[in-house]
Amino acid sequence: MIEFKDVTKKFASEPVLDKINFLIDKGSFVYLVGPTGSGKTTIFRLIIRDILPSEGTIALGDWDLLTLPRSKVPHLRRRVGVVFQDLRLLMDRTVSENVMLPLEFSGMSETEAREKAEKVLSEVGLAGKFDQFPLQLSGGERQRVAIARALVFEPEIILADEPTGNLDIETSFQILDLLQTINKKGTTVFMATHNEKLISGHDRVIVLEKGRIVEDRSSEKSKKKSSSKEDSQEKVETSKETEKKSHPAEDKIKLEILAKND
Amino acid sequence: MISTVSKYVRRSPYQALSAALIMSLTFFAITIFSILTILSIRFISYFETRPQLTVFFKDSASRDEIRGLENKLSDTGRTSSITYVSKEEALAIYKEQNKKDPILLDLVTADILPASIEVQATQAEYLADLAGIVRGSPLVEEVVFQKDIVDTLISWTNAARRLGIAIIAILVTVSVLVIITIIGIKITVRREEIETMKLLGATNWFIRAPFLLEGAFYGFVGSLAGGGLAIALFYYFSPSFEAFLRGVAIFPISPVMMLELLAIETIVACLLGMFASYMAVLRYLK
Repeated sequence: MIEFKDVTKKFASEPVLDKINFLIDKGSFVYLVGPTGSGKTTIFRLIIRDILPSEGTIALGDWDLLTLPRSKVPHLRRRVGVVFQDLRLLMDRTVSENVMLPLEFSGMSETEAREKAEKVLSEVGLAGKFDQFPLQLSGGERQRVAIARALVFEPEIILADEPTGNLDIETSFQILDLLQTINKKGTTVFMATHNEKLISGHDRVIVLEKGRIVEDRSSEKSKKKSSSKEDSQEKVETSKETEKKSHPAEDKIKLEILAKND
Repeated sequence: MISTVSKYVRRSPYQALSAALIMSLTFFAITIFSILTILSIRFISYFETRPQLTVFFKDSASRDEIRGLENKLSDTGRTSSITYVSKEEALAIYKEQNKKDPILLDLVTADILPASIEVQATQAEYLADLAGIVRGSPLVEEVVFQKDIVDTLISWTNAARRLGIAIIAILVTVSVLVIITIIGIKITVRREEIETMKLLGATNWFIRAPFLLEGAFYGFVGSLAGGGLAIALFYYFSPSFEAFLRGVAIFPISPVMMLELLAIETIVACLLGMFASYMAVLRYLK
């Protein structure tokens, strides 16, 4: 589905990504974990061809993103739904209008686009908020609007860049649940986060540090593929221990949320 | 798309007003210039169809003597027509031309108007020779050479045309620059929104089209306002012009012709607005 082969990206001769290799299968849920500045957003920008790699190749399905003509870039971006780190909602447009926006590009009529946008908004739990403006919503609701906008084109892949970045833990899990529900319907989800507490033990985790993959923790569903094969074994062992340790904390938080909801 | 354009216009009304006003000014000038061109063409063609040589006689000249001079001109074989206008006929023409001004009519009698002949030459180059023949006659008071009048008119209208074209060129340039600046500001203000739209999969055309339409909109409004005002003013002042140019039959100008002029101007204005917007889009939306 998405394949990075020896991808290096330099900004002003400074490498931001260094020889990145991974393959994400269709329908999988993959976390991209790493501290701020580790290159997570750069990977997403490369996938939507906002920038080009300095070296290496990137493929999305059967499209080679390096040789993709510029005229095809809008089509590529409609195959990929993006939840931006800063959301990029248009503050002077209503919730519905924000979600309708990508549909307008395809020439869909306003009525049809509005109907579809409101259906998707209802699915993400925002029924009744259609005519509100983003500034009238809570952080979690705005995040849902961004997710709805990414979903409205029924993309093959959702790229979610720190979708829980500024949210409290309860809302973060709600957003995560939403993304997992989307994934269960067959959409590939590639989610960047620096919050390891959110990571479910069943899904694949790619850990990024200073532009290099230091760990590729595969789930039962997908096979491990790491760019930094050298000395990775040791790191994988360490990560398994971290995983074991993180689970009880996550479970505890989830139980607290359930108790609150009750 | 139309609703997007209307939103863009409503969001910055003063910029929109500036763009529409400069376009109005430009197309007001273009319309005035076009009307003056139409009038000058009619004015010149009016004089071109007038007798090419008018010979005014002294009061002492008898009809027989004048007839003798007419025969002399006819014998050259270079005249296509010679028409005699007696003092009484001259008075009748004068009265017809000044029928709305009784004071002028009261002051003039047939005695003070000269008899004349109006001569048409078979070819323009014969006029100088024909004029030479009549100028030598002691019966002749004055010879009016129509070609001189037409040549003077043409040189005046050409000078006015050059000045008009220069003024219009300046106004068109200013209009284009103003629209480029205004659309450029709008693009800069909406940079983030445009960036987001691109990242979400909008094509370049989808992003550019509203700006191009906005430019066309300024052209449309400007040409209708400027052109419409100029045409309205022309019809309002037409009776005064007509009275001023009495006897020169260049009026009326058909309203259909004016509507055609306005339609052409509107198309040109829309294209000009789109061109200016396209320049802005090329400059600011790389």
